Parts: sequence; structure tokens; C-alpha cells
Amino acid sequence: MEYAVLFLPLLGSILGYFGKSLGNFFSEIATSFFVTASAILSIVIFYNGITAGSYGNFKIFEWISSGNFVANWSIKIDPLSSIMLVVVTLVSSIVHIYSIGYMSHDPHKPRFMSYLSLFTFSMLALVVSDNFLQLFFGWEGVGLCSYLLIGFWYKRNSANNAAIKAFIVNRVGDFGLAVGIFLIFYHLGTINYDEVFSLIPTLVNKEINFLGFEYNLITIICLSLFIGAMGKSAQFLLHTWLPDAMEGPTPVSALIHAATMVTAGVFLVVRSSPIFEYSSVALNVVAVIGMITAIFAASVALVQNDIKRIIAYSTCSQLGYMFFAVGVGAYHVAMFHLFTHAFFKALLFLGSGSVIHAFKDDQDIRNMGGVWKQLPYTWVLMLIGTLALTGFPLLSGFYSKDAIIEFAFLKHTFMGNSVAIVGIITAFLTSIYSWRLIFKTFHGKYMNKKIPIKETHESPLIMLVPLIFLAFGAIFSGYLFKELFIGENSESFWLNSIFFIEMTSHDNIPLWFLALTPLLVIISIPVSYFLFVKDKKILDGFKERYKTFYNFLLNKWYVDEFYEIILVNPIKKIGYIFWKKGDEGTIDRFGPNGISKIIKLISDKAVQFQSGYIYDYAFIMLIGLSALITYLIIY
Amino acid sequence: MLFHSIFFYFFSIIAIFSALMVITSRSTVNSVFFLILDFISIGCLFIMVGAEFLGIIILIVYVGAVAVLFLFVVMMLNVAQQKQSWFIGKKSSHIPFGLVVSVIIFLELLVVLGGWKYKENVMSSSNLLLNESISNTHQIGRVMYTDYILYFQISGIILLLSMIGAIVLTYQKRDNIKKQSYINQISREKLTSIELKKVEFEKGVKIDD
Amino acid sequence: MIDIGLGHYLTLGAIIFSLGVIGIFLNRKNIIVILMSVELILLAVNINLISFSIFSGDILGQIFTMLILTIAAAEAAIGLAIIVVFYRNKGSIRVEDIHEMKG
Repeated sequence: MEYAVLFLPLLGSILGYFGKSLGNFFSEIATSFFVTASAILSIVIFYNGITAGSYGNFKIFEWISSGNFVANWSIKIDPLSSIMLVVVTLVSSIVHIYSIGYMSHDPHKPRFMSYLSLFTFSMLALVVSDNFLQLFFGWEGVGLCSYLLIGFWYKRNSANNAAIKAFIVNRVGDFGLAVGIFLIFYHLGTINYDEVFSLIPTLVNKEINFLGFEYNLITIICLSLFIGAMGKSAQFLLHTWLPDAMEGPTPVSALIHAATMVTAGVFLVVRSSPIFEYSSVALNVVAVIGMITAIFAASVALVQNDIKRIIAYSTCSQLGYMFFAVGVGAYHVAMFHLFTHAFFKALLFLGSGSVIHAFKDDQDIRNMGGVWKQLPYTWVLMLIGTLALTGFPLLSGFYSKDAIIEFAFLKHTFMGNSVAIVGIITAFLTSIYSWRLIFKTFHGKYMNKKIPIKETHESPLIMLVPLIFLAFGAIFSGYLFKELFIGENSESFWLNSIFFIEMTSHDNIPLWFLALTPLLVIISIPVSYFLFVKDKKILDGFKERYKTFYNFLLNKWYVDEFYEIILVNPIKKIGYIFWKKGDEGTIDRFGPNGISKIIKLISDKAVQFQSGYIYDYAFIMLIGLSALITYLIIY
Repeated sequence: MLFHSIFFYFFSIIAIFSALMVITSRSTVNSVFFLILDFISIGCLFIMVGAEFLGIIILIVYVGAVAVLFLFVVMMLNVAQQKQSWFIGKKSSHIPFGLVVSVIIFLELLVVLGGWKYKENVMSSSNLLLNESISNTHQIGRVMYTDYILYFQISGIILLLSMIGAIVLTYQKRDNIKKQSYINQISREKLTSIELKKVEFEKGVKIDD
Repeated sequence: MIDIGLGHYLTLGAIIFSLGVIGIFLNRKNIIVILMSVELILLAVNINLISFSIFSGDILGQIFTMLILTIAAAEAAIGLAIIVVFYRNKGSIRVEDIHEMKG
């Protein structure tokens, strides 16, 4: 059964791609069917895990075995991976079904569905691995599929550029991950999780020499692994690819950039919790980066005008939440937030897909407004998603977000307190921009110049039914799974898939603190209604007076431009030099071009032998004859 | 002996000189004339040595037939008008090299022939002995028509072949010449050649061709 | 030097032979000179054969010479016929113009 979970999406992907000769419908149905079957099986595995505790490691075959270096292809089922299995397959199957409807006008459906299934397979391989190498395989696989899917409409220049940008920024992160894995293998001699985790305590105070400075080995390993996570999960310095990745179709954004790929970074850090726990420096770095990301993304999302970009930045910010939860040592809370976040973020993305579909592929929220009566179902679903995202009391986001803030506070350290404060501020900003999105899209005046309001119609049923599933998840997953993930006895659930040196105890928290966040969230609703619907003049005045600040936020803190000047242009120049001088000047000149020139030279000279004149031929015969005679005479 | 050597040198120097002039003279007709001179001097040399039959044959055949043939062709093809020098064109750079190679060939010939150890009076067959009492022609006749009749006939056939070949190569059919084809004349039939026509009074008859 | 022996005749033959060979490829004029050089070569061979025949008392050399004479005449005839036809087609027998086999 475990094998089925892993390989059914792969089968679906292959069938989907080659099934285009059998018709688009066949490939759609085949891929969706296989992934849904995989989802059902993973729910069964999860259930078995909770009730019967049937976890284990299922080896498929031995991949590499050279000396000490042994790496197997295997499926490791333990609490952490079973949760991820459920999340990935469930969201993936919903996205598959949704895209049957969303991409119905697209001529390249089989390719799309097969890429989606391939992505699912890579993500699953990443999640169920029991050694760092298979994780790396899955890591690269999802990177590849992200490239393929972002650049799906390959005839668009902007899509191609965005896909390359995503791949390259991810590559930077992958480099860090690879360095981390190398260090682990070099010092511990193995890359299997179990062996590594049991051997880590032996390395606790070891220092290594890097560029003349002494560093703690475990810190370096953790930081390298975290660089990989930064790349994949779009944390502050390596975030530039995420907004541009919205060039891909909306289902892609929902699957990859909301629920699964970007959570691979969080998964990596949580999986390596035994390593991270031994280095407080690394944990602090993680928390700081997480905080910066959260604030940064929230501030930028306040002023964006494209629906999908707002939601993308919101994802970025929520990932920051997960990372600073990890940074204060609350791994289980981070996983819980990951779980609930997958539901409501996917719901938001797919719902915005509905909106875009209704507005005939226009994504600018300045061209929308006042359609809540025209698109009732979409409106309700987006409302549910937004309420869950902002942490409205009793919905799922409330439980997970507030748990993060509480755990941070309970640490009673400086880092913990600052994390808590940042969390609260970000929550406030989150709700403001989320409500901004809702109000500008569905309420107020209808601002679209091109399409009359009567023509905006609701999406077909095949697109709405999956959203209803997600809405259920968004509403109930928090309450239902709270006890399991982060409750008093959650240790019995997590067993040893997550490692704590010392568990944070669930002490008493002052009531004012508990109530602070929900209060802020509830207040922000009328505030944003006022600002964005009723009286927009205040905002316009704001924009005028603080124009520089506004531009700073609108241009994403100018990070892209900074990178362009510092990194991209020099590297382009270096690449150009390598191309012209190195590749063309040296290799081509001596290689193919040189050889062909020499051949031409030789053949030009050789042609002169055949001048066509008889006397030349006679002459050559004579020379040959005299040579022969000379030879015979002398010898 | 003295006369012998004087005559030898005389003829041989003329032969060498004229051979040289054959290949280096400016006009082609001059080349042909020098070739004729060459043949004549060699023919005289042969007569002097004692093979008088072959000397005369050379004079008759080579000079009287082959060289005249050359002259005919030279005159016919108008090459006499073309006067050119040896060193035209960019390809004259190989002349020194060519000369060197020819000198090498010459020297090799000398080495081979000079260093050859050959027996005097090699053959003892009575047929082939050069007898002083019979004339050269008689000797040749004795051997050629008896032992070497096959080669004689074959050379005759070769000459026939060359004659046929030359005629075939240069034959041109002319379209505007009326020739008599006796085969057509003989194979005429009454039906195709005579036609009776009734001629009307004072009207005449029209013959359409 | 005064005493003429076999070697002198052979030397004469060798010289004329080399001159004929030079004439084949060192001429820039026309094809007829090539044919004449071939005649020179054959003549040199005849000299050799006759001198061997006289000096070794064997009549066979002279018979062979006659056969060579025959062949030389036949070959001159055919060669000239070819040149005539070639001139008819091409209009020129200058050596520079005959390079159809140029590759």
C-alpha cells in the first residue's frame, strides 16, 4: 500500500503524458484518478498510524552502495511523513480535479496534468525518504516541476523568465543544502536519518576551520540546510522568485506555492530537528529570518494590486511564521500551522482562480469590485478562506497561529518575546491586507471598464466542488486536530519523529495576552472596510504624503533591483566573457572550427594535385617512377 | 676507327641537338622539322653501325610517313600561328624541379646500363648470329618470316586497326552532300517508284514532292 | 673517347630518352609536342635495341626494333586522329585549355 501511495502519481504522470493520443479527457481522468487513489490510501495510512501505530521503514531497493556510502530508495512512514503525505496528496488531488475545469480552454491539458502528477510524485519521494539523498532527489524534482509548470505557457516571455528565475534562485538554496549534506556525510560517514540522528550528539562541540575561522560544526551544518530551506520556502533573501512565479496557471500556484513545495523547506528543518536542537545559534538565525520575512511580506502585500501576488506574499509571510515557530523550538506547532495553512491557502488561491476566470483572465483588483451578488459561491468560499487565514476565532488558523505566538511567549527568552511581538504585528497586517483583498474584489463600486457586470458568471461545478472540500478543511481542521498535534499528549503522537531537547510546557498564559490577537483581528475588519470601501480619500492622502515609502513597499523593498545590480549584471558579464572568449574563442576555435579550417586548408592544397593538365599527371608519374628506381638502385 | 668515332660524334651531336630543339623551339612547325632531322641523323647512325635495313626503314617510315602526318596535322590545325614561350603562367616554378627529376632519371639510366654486367656473345643460336657474309636484310628476312611470323602478322593487324581507328574517329557525316547509295537503288520496287496518272486535255499534271 | 663502344651508344639513347621525357611535361605549347616527345622516347629505345643487337651479334634486337617501329607509327596515327577530333570539338589544342579533368 505504501508503494502504491508513492508510485501511483508517477504512473498517472506517465500515462497522462503519453495518453494524449487517446484524448485529453483520458489523460485528465487517469491522472486525477491515480492521485485521488493515492490520497485515499494516504489517509488510510495516517489513520492506521494514529490508531495502530503502524509506522515503519519500507525499503524499495538499494540505490547507491559504494564503500561507506549507502543510500536506499525507501518509504519511511512515521508521524511526520504521514501528515505530509495526507496534505500533499489531498491538496494535489483537489487541484487535479479543479484544473480539469480551469484549464478546459487550454490546448495542452495532458502535459499540464502529467506535470502536476510528476510534481506530486517528487514531493512524495521527498517526504517519505529515509536518507538525505532521496530527499535531495525529491527536492530537485519539485524544483524541476516548478520550472516546468511556471513556464507552462511557454510562449509568453514573462513566463519563461519567471520560470528560470525560480529555478536559479532555488539552485542557490540547493547549493546550501548540498553543502550541508556533504558536511554530514564527511563527519558522520552516513546519510540515513536514523544513523545521523543517533550520531549527532558525538559532534556537539566539534569545530571546523572554514576560511581561517573556527566555527561550530553543527551550526554550519544547520545553516547550510537552512539556506536550502530558504530557497525552497522563499524566505527573505531568496524570496524573489515567489511573486514572479504567479505567471503560471492558478492551479499551479495553489498546489506548489501554497501547500506543498514551499513547505518542503519547513519539512526539511523539522525533519532535521535532532540536528537543529543542538545549535542555538542556528535556531536563532532561523527565527530572525522568519520574522524578517513575515514582516516584509506582510508590508509588501498591503500595497500590491494583483490578486495572486497578494496571496503569494501572504504565503511568504505565513512561511515566515512557520520558521520562527521552528526557531523557538516549537516544531510541532509549525507542522500544525503547515497543515492548516495548506487548506486555507489552497482555498484562497483556487478561489481567486474562480474570480480571475469570471473576469476573463484579468488579475488586477483595481478593475474589480462589487460582484458579491454575481459570484455568491466564490464569495462565500473566499470569505471562509480569509477568516481562516487571519485567525478569526474558532476557525483553523486561529488555533495554529495563536499557538505559535503562545509558544513563543512561553519560552520567556528575549528571542521568544520578540518573536511573539512580531507575530502579533504581522497578524494585524495580515488581516488588513486580506480584508483589503475581499473588499476590493467583491464590494464597493464595480470598476471594470471592459466587461459589463452582467457577464461575470460563476465558475462551473467542477471547479466549485473541490473548493467546498477545502473549505471544510479550512474550518474544521484546526479544531479537530488540535489535540493531536499540539495538545498535552501530543508527544505520544509525534513519538521520535521530532526531537526536543526539552519540551516547552504548556503553562498558564495571561488572559490579556491570549485575547490580544483575536481582538486585533476582529477590529481590523471594520477598519479595513472603512479604509477601502467607504472612504478611500484617507488612503489616497497617505499615498501622496508618503510617496517614497509607498513606492518602497510597492517595489518589494527594492530587493529585486538590488540583486540585479549586485549579482545579476556582474554574473551576466562573466558569463558573457566565458561564452565569447572561452567557449567560442578557445574551444570552438581549436575544436570544430579549427579542425574544419585545417581540413579546408589541406584539401585546398590537395586539390592542386588534380589540375586537369595532363603534363602534371605525367610529371607525377615520372616522379614516382624515379623514386622507385632510386629505391631499387640503392637497395 | 677514327672515322668511326668522328661520324658517331657528328651524328649523335646532331641528334641530341635536334631533340633539344624539338621540345624548346618556339613554333610547332620548327619542332616538326627538327624531329625530322633527328630521325634522319639516327637513321644514318644505324646505317653506319651496320643495321642498314633498319636505318632505311626508319627513313622511309618515320620520316616519310609519321613526320609527314605530323606536319599535315600541324598545318591543318593552325597551330603554326601560335607562338608562345616556355615560361608562361604562374606554374613555371616547377621547371627547375622537373629538370632535376629528369637529370636524375638520366643518371639512373646510366647507372643501370653502365653497371650492367653482360656477356659478350650471349646467344649461340645459329639463327641469330650476325653473319658478316650475308646482308643485313637477308638476315632479317631469314628470321622474321620463319620463327617470328606471328609477331609480323600481328603487327600487320595492329596497323590495320590503327587505320580503321583513325578513320572511324575522324569521320564526319555531312548532311548536305548527295551521295549515291546503291543499296537503295537496287532495292527499288515497282509499286513505290511508278505511278500512272490520267492526264486531262490541256490541263497538265501536278507532281507533288 | 675515341674508341666507340657500347656505352657510348647507350649514353646517346639515355640522353634522347631523357629529352623526350622532359618534353612531355615541360612544354607549354600544345599537345602535338607531347606526341613528338613520345616519338623521341621510342626512338631512344630503338637506339638501345640496335646497339645491343650489333654488339652482341644477335639479330633479335633488330626484329624487335621493327615491331616497335610499327607500333610507333600506329600510335602516332591514332593520337593525331584524336587530336583532330578534339580540335573539332574544342577549337583549341593549347595545353592550358585542356583541363576537363580538373578536380
